[in-house]
Amino acid sequence: MTLRTVRRRYEQLLEAIVLILMIALTVLVIAGAAFRYLGSALTWYDETASIGLVWLTYFGSALAALRGAHIGVPGLVNAMPPRLRLLATLFAEAVVLTFFVMLAYYGLQVVIVLQGEHMITLPQVSSQLTQSAIPVGATMFVIAELLRLPDVLRAARSGGFVDTETIEALSHGAPDPAANAGARR
Amino acid sequence: MTIALMLVGMIGLSLLNVPIAIALGFVAMAAIALIQGPTMLPNLALEMFNGASSFPLLAIPLFILSGAIMNASSISRRLIAFASALVGFVRGGLSMVSIGTSVFFAEISGSAVADVAALGTILIPAMKSRGYSKEVAAATMSSAASLAIIIPPSIPMILYAVMAQTSTVKLFVAGIVPGLLGALAMAGAAYYHAVRYDFPAEQRFRLSEVWRTGKEALWAFILPIAILGSIFGGIVTATEGAGMAVLAAIVVGGLIYRDLDFRELKKACVDGGIQTAVVMLLVASSALIGTFLTEAQLPQALGHAMTSLTTNKYLVLLMLNVAFLILGMFLHSAAAIILVIPIVMPLVTSVGIDPIHFGLVVTLNLAIGQQTPPVASVLMTACAIAKSDIWDTTRVNIPYIVALVAVLLLSTYVPVVSLGLVHLFYGG
Repeated sequence: MTLRTVRRRYEQLLEAIVLILMIALTVLVIAGAAFRYLGSALTWYDETASIGLVWLTYFGSALAALRGAHIGVPGLVNAMPPRLRLLATLFAEAVVLTFFVMLAYYGLQVVIVLQGEHMITLPQVSSQLTQSAIPVGATMFVIAELLRLPDVLRAARSGGFVDTETIEALSHGAPDPAANAGARR
Repeated sequence: MTIALMLVGMIGLSLLNVPIAIALGFVAMAAIALIQGPTMLPNLALEMFNGASSFPLLAIPLFILSGAIMNASSISRRLIAFASALVGFVRGGLSMVSIGTSVFFAEISGSAVADVAALGTILIPAMKSRGYSKEVAAATMSSAASLAIIIPPSIPMILYAVMAQTSTVKLFVAGIVPGLLGALAMAGAAYYHAVRYDFPAEQRFRLSEVWRTGKEALWAFILPIAILGSIFGGIVTATEGAGMAVLAAIVVGGLIYRDLDFRELKKACVDGGIQTAVVMLLVASSALIGTFLTEAQLPQALGHAMTSLTTNKYLVLLMLNVAFLILGMFLHSAAAIILVIPIVMPLVTSVGIDPIHFGLVVTLNLAIGQQTPPVASVLMTACAIAKSDIWDTTRVNIPYIVALVAVLLLSTYVPVVSLGLVHLFYGG
C-alpha cells in the first residue's frame, strides 16, 4: 500500500468514528429532552452527553489534523523566504508532535490510575473507558500529523499555507481550484 | 515574570504557525513541568479532558448540523425564491434578496461562514450574471451572511455565554433587534450601490407570487421560529433546542420536501464534527492555561489597571470595542472569544456592564472582524466563490462595514436596543 492509500484509509476510519459520535450525540440529546418532557428524565444523560463531546473533540481533532483544519496564524510564516519557512514549519511540527505524544503518555497514566473508578450517574461504566479518549485520541492525532507531514513540508517549500476555515466551507459548495493550490494548515 | 514568559511563548508559537490550541497546550505543559514539577504532568491529561466536557457547548455541533442538513435539501433555494418575491422589486434587487435570505437563514444557521458557502454559491453567480461586478457580489453576500451570528442561533454567542458564565438564551434574545437593524442598515448600503452602479430591480411585486413562494418555504420558515420560541420560552434548553433543530431539519428535508441528499448529509455530519472539535480543542487548552492566568490574578490586574484609568463604563466599552475590532482583523472569532473573554470579564462586571449587553457587543465586533482582512473567514469564502481579490472586494465592502459599525455603536451606547427585548421577556 502506498502512503496515499494508507492516508485515505485512515481518513475513512476517522470519518466513520466522527460520524458515529455525531449521530449518537444527536440521538442522545433528543432522547434526553423527550424523556424529560414525558416526566421520566434520564439521570445519566447530561454526564454521558458531556463525555461524548470530549470524545468528539479528540477524535475530531485527529481528523482535523489530517485535513490541516486547526485554527492557526499562517501570515508570518507565509511571508518568510522558503528556506526559513521550511525551518519554522519543522519546528512547529515538532511542537505539535511533542505535545500530543506527552498527552498520550500521561493520558495513559491517568487511565491506569483510574482503575476501579466509574461514571457518577452510570456506575456500570468504568472511568477508564471514558478517559481513554485522551490517550487513544492523542495517539491518533500523532499518526494523522505524521501522515500529513509530507504535504505540509511540500507546501512549506513552495507556496505557503492557506486559511483553513475558508477551504472547509468551500468544500461544500463550488470548489475554487486556485484556493486549493496550497496545503491547508 | 512567569506569566510574561508564558504570553511570549503562546504568541511566539502561534506566529510560527503552531495551531493556537496546541500553542496554548504546549506552554501550559511546560509551565506545569517547570513550576509544579513533572509529577504533576498527569494533570495535563485530566484538565484536557475536563476542559472539553461541557453540556452547554454541545449546542455547537448540533446547530452546525441542523444548518448543514437544511443545506443538503432544497431549503436555501426556497428561501431565496421567497425573499425574491418579497424584496426583489427594489432597485439592486439581488442585493436585497441576498440580505433578505440571510435574515431567514440566520434563524437556522449559527455560522456566517456556513451561510456564505450555502447562499453565496447560488446568489453570487446570479448577481454576476445580472451585471454586478464580482467585487460587489462578493461584498454583498459576505456582509449579509454576518447576520447569521447576530440573529439567533449563533455559535459565537453560545461560546461567549459559556466563557462568561451567562445565559445563552438571553444573549440569543438580545441579538434579535440588532440583527434586524443590521439588515436594514445593510439594505441602505445596498441601495447606495444600486444607485451608484445602476443595478436593476428583479421582478415586479406580486402578492400572488409572495403567497406561492411563501407556501413553498413555509416549513423552512416556521420550524426554526417554533424551535427558537421554545428555547426562549424556557421549554427546552439551548442544547435541547439544537437537538430539536436537527430533528426538524431531517423531517423537513427528508419527509416533507423529500429532497435530502444523503451523501451531502453524511459529509455535513463529518465536517460539523471537525469544526466542533477544532473549537473544543481550543476551549480545552485555554481552560488549562486559564488556571495559570487566574492564579497569577492576571484578569484582576488588567481590571485594576483599566479602572485606575477610568471607571466610566461607556469609556471602557469604547476601549473594548477598539480592542475587539483590531483583534477581529487578526483572529478567528471563536479563538478571539475563547482567549479574551475570560480575561476581560472581571473588568466588564466591575464597571457595571451587563454581561448580556457585552456579549452582544462582542458578537457584533466579531461579525465585523469576519469582514476585515487579513483574517476574515467570511469575506475570504465569498471572494473564493466570486473569484475576486480580497482587497478590491474590501474597498466595495466599506459601505456595508460602515452600516455594521453604525449598528455596533448604536447597540453599545443605547443598551435598550439589545436589552429591551431581554427585559421584556425575562424582567430585570
